[in-house]
Amino acid sequence: MLNRRQFLQTSLVGSSLVALQGFGPGFLARTALAAPTADSPGAKDTILVVIQLTGGNDGLNTVVPFKDPLYGKYRPTLKLPEAQLRKINDELALHPSMTGLAELLQDGALCIVQGVGYPNPSQSHFRSMDIWHAASTKEHLSEGWLGKALHRLPSASAFHVAMPNEPNWLALQGGPFKVPALTSLDDLQFRLPAATSADQRAQREVVENAVKRPADNPLLNFVQQTALNTYENTRRLREIGRNYQPKFPYPQNGLGNRLRLVAQLIEANLGARIYYVSLDGFDTHASQANTHANLLLELSSAVTAFFRDMAARGHRDRLLVMTFSEFGRRVQENGSRGTDHGTAAPMFLIGGRVRPGIVGEHPSLEKLEFGNLKHHTDFRQVYAAVLEKWLGIPSAPILDGTFQPLDIFRS
Amino acid sequence: MPTQRQDLDPQWAWQTYTPDEARPWTLKWAGHLYRRAAFAANWSQLQQALKEGPVKTVDRLLQGSGEQQAFAAQMDALAASIAKTNNATHMRAWWLACLIRTPHPLLEKMTLFWHNHFATSNAKVNNVAYMLQQNQTLRRFALGSFADMLHAISKDPAMMVWLDTNLNKKGKPNENYARELMELFSLGIGNYTEQDIREAARAFTGWEIRNGQFHFNRAEHDDGDKTVFGRTGRWQGEDVVRFCLEHPACPRFLARKLFRYFVSETLEPPAELLEPLAQQLRKSNYAIGETVRMILTSNIFYSPQAYRGRIKSPVEFAVGLIRALEGQPNAVALANALDNIGQRLFYPPSVKGWDGGPAWLNPTTLLARNNLAHALTSGEDPQFGSRCDPVRLVGKYGRQNDEQILDFFLDLFLQGDVGVESRHRLADYLRQSEHFRWPAYWSEQDRREHRIRALCYLVLSQPEYQLD
Repeated sequence: MLNRRQFLQTSLVGSSLVALQGFGPGFLARTALAAPTADSPGAKDTILVVIQLTGGNDGLNTVVPFKDPLYGKYRPTLKLPEAQLRKINDELALHPSMTGLAELLQDGALCIVQGVGYPNPSQSHFRSMDIWHAASTKEHLSEGWLGKALHRLPSASAFHVAMPNEPNWLALQGGPFKVPALTSLDDLQFRLPAATSADQRAQREVVENAVKRPADNPLLNFVQQTALNTYENTRRLREIGRNYQPKFPYPQNGLGNRLRLVAQLIEANLGARIYYVSLDGFDTHASQANTHANLLLELSSAVTAFFRDMAARGHRDRLLVMTFSEFGRRVQENGSRGTDHGTAAPMFLIGGRVRPGIVGEHPSLEKLEFGNLKHHTDFRQVYAAVLEKWLGIPSAPILDGTFQPLDIFRS
Repeated sequence: MPTQRQDLDPQWAWQTYTPDEARPWTLKWAGHLYRRAAFAANWSQLQQALKEGPVKTVDRLLQGSGEQQAFAAQMDALAASIAKTNNATHMRAWWLACLIRTPHPLLEKMTLFWHNHFATSNAKVNNVAYMLQQNQTLRRFALGSFADMLHAISKDPAMMVWLDTNLNKKGKPNENYARELMELFSLGIGNYTEQDIREAARAFTGWEIRNGQFHFNRAEHDDGDKTVFGRTGRWQGEDVVRFCLEHPACPRFLARKLFRYFVSETLEPPAELLEPLAQQLRKSNYAIGETVRMILTSNIFYSPQAYRGRIKSPVEFAVGLIRALEGQPNAVALANALDNIGQRLFYPPSVKGWDGGPAWLNPTTLLARNNLAHALTSGEDPQFGSRCDPVRLVGKYGRQNDEQILDFFLDLFLQGDVGVESRHRLADYLRQSEHFRWPAYWSEQDRREHRIRALCYLVLSQPEYQLD
């Protein structure tokens, strides 16, 4: 198989219309343009994978201030036993499910930002999710922060690796093109009306040979060049689909499958720098303990496998995974052994270049606001760091204001 | 063959094309006219156009058919019920159904042009009734007077929400509408000053929406003197619209956009070439139908510069394919499929509309176009079924053997204009596939129908089919 650069070179040979490709909002194979060149300033090929925890993750039982006596007082039934926790230091620990993330912390690949939120928090799922997606608290929100970021990453594409029927999230809207939502690699394949494998071969030959001879009409040439790129990409994706052997076993769960698909897409080098996946079910109003433990197990095991697989393939230092949820949950548990909607919560950043450890204090359990944790870090400070330090683009136009980038990367 | 220079001679370019031996009226040009003016021709339309010649065909396309009135009444009633439910998906499906079934495709083609010109998105307007009302306004004036349309659109509720006219108050002017009126709707950048915009914005103060209709609120209107384009007076919004229409840049601006839509996306026309078209707009007081007639009957329209000089928009691609196949697919499914190809009707990406041209095409959208062609024609797609069936069409027009069927599809979709090698490859597929081992339970008819549908798909996947 061709490596990335060889492919770029071959796909460009003889093309007089490469310049025209620049007109196009490319997703699948703006490959040519997406190639990083270390000597051109600002050009990078870092990758951002955003994981949305839908429903409002209970931050207090994710990163636990186990030494604080108020923790047990507010969580009489949901308090996690100290012996089972994954200790970070003398005061804080990760939920017992998160063995994998605890190991990544040891390996220096996990950064935990505490107390993240925004002023006058909304406790509506929809409104608060929109605010996180748009990175704005304006009344009318129609563009997402990642969609806007794509305008400033003209050569990059993006993928939403989705569950069936998952919404087209606001975070991805407002960009130069619609971010494609995929549920499998087959979504990036030609569907031929073929009944047998010989039929399929014969049809594919007709389709692919139709674009091989340069045409007089420059517009026709442009179509043919685009088609050649498409056929080349689909071929590579077929190979990867057949031959991909993870370097680290992925757990058999939904998020694991989606992140495995992200890994295959990254490995195919399609020029995508933003990937979006979500994990639903965090709205734990009743009998939270088991549900929450399972969700955090899914998150931790899937992310750990994904990171280790990618690291083993040489992507350790170009990968950043970021988790967020629309809000945390109420400090005082409710009468159904669950928790109601809250506010501030931690975010996880995983990658080879994150500043490992804890950023910021755990929000005080003493000074609550309407029973909720008070945020001390605006989520847009995290976004600002991701946009500026990781993707290399200015954050102010995207965040609807100036936010001081949080110190979350190694210098 | 006309030379390059002759094509670009403005006088020659806009004279009426008269077929002669050097430039005969052929299937190629009938197909070209139908693609540009009516999304695509079906088989009988192609034959009729071939017989009648360009001028008569253009007349017919401008006129529409007698069924138009009944069709419009039916679609209006449907629109009214969709407006009540505020269902945006049904709204998009509704327009696609109009585009597919209309007896007056040039009217829809122009409505689509104006949707892109006055690009308004329901992402902000968030009101299906307003969006449908605007769509009907665009259709009402689509082939009528641009002057009347510009006045009407300035008071259109969807536009007033979209560009904040309704927030424009005395003492707190909002310049959004005034700016786009000049920059994108009538003059183009460089033909006005920032001062013109600030003053014009004041003239639009007090324009509001009340009970879903335009309302002039005198109390919020700034009735002081304003100076716009050097003219000073106590101008109101209507005066500013009138000044834009009287501005010499306006007909030129519009001529350039019409040229790009109908003639070529790749040829950047010099001002001299556009001047006769601009003059036509000026002297007819912006009669769009007459101007469109001038374009569609002109020498330059039937020139190599115009031929396949555009990339089909997603709507043109899908609607053209469906009209050629005389199909009636599920419009909701089609609306969703078009999202993936990059054109969500009623949701243009910005007030500038869709960029068009090469921007439509990249590996993902090309893949999605081909997969849509497959979904529509294969009979295998759960959403589209066989409501666009090539087998039925081949039967309708009595094509029997492989060679006839290949010629039929090539003529229908590409007017036979593909390279000789492409034709050979398609013929080869038919020859080879006669000897494939098909599933044992297939009947003779199953085999025959499969090969017809496969061939249709292969013709649609030719790169020439992406060009308009």
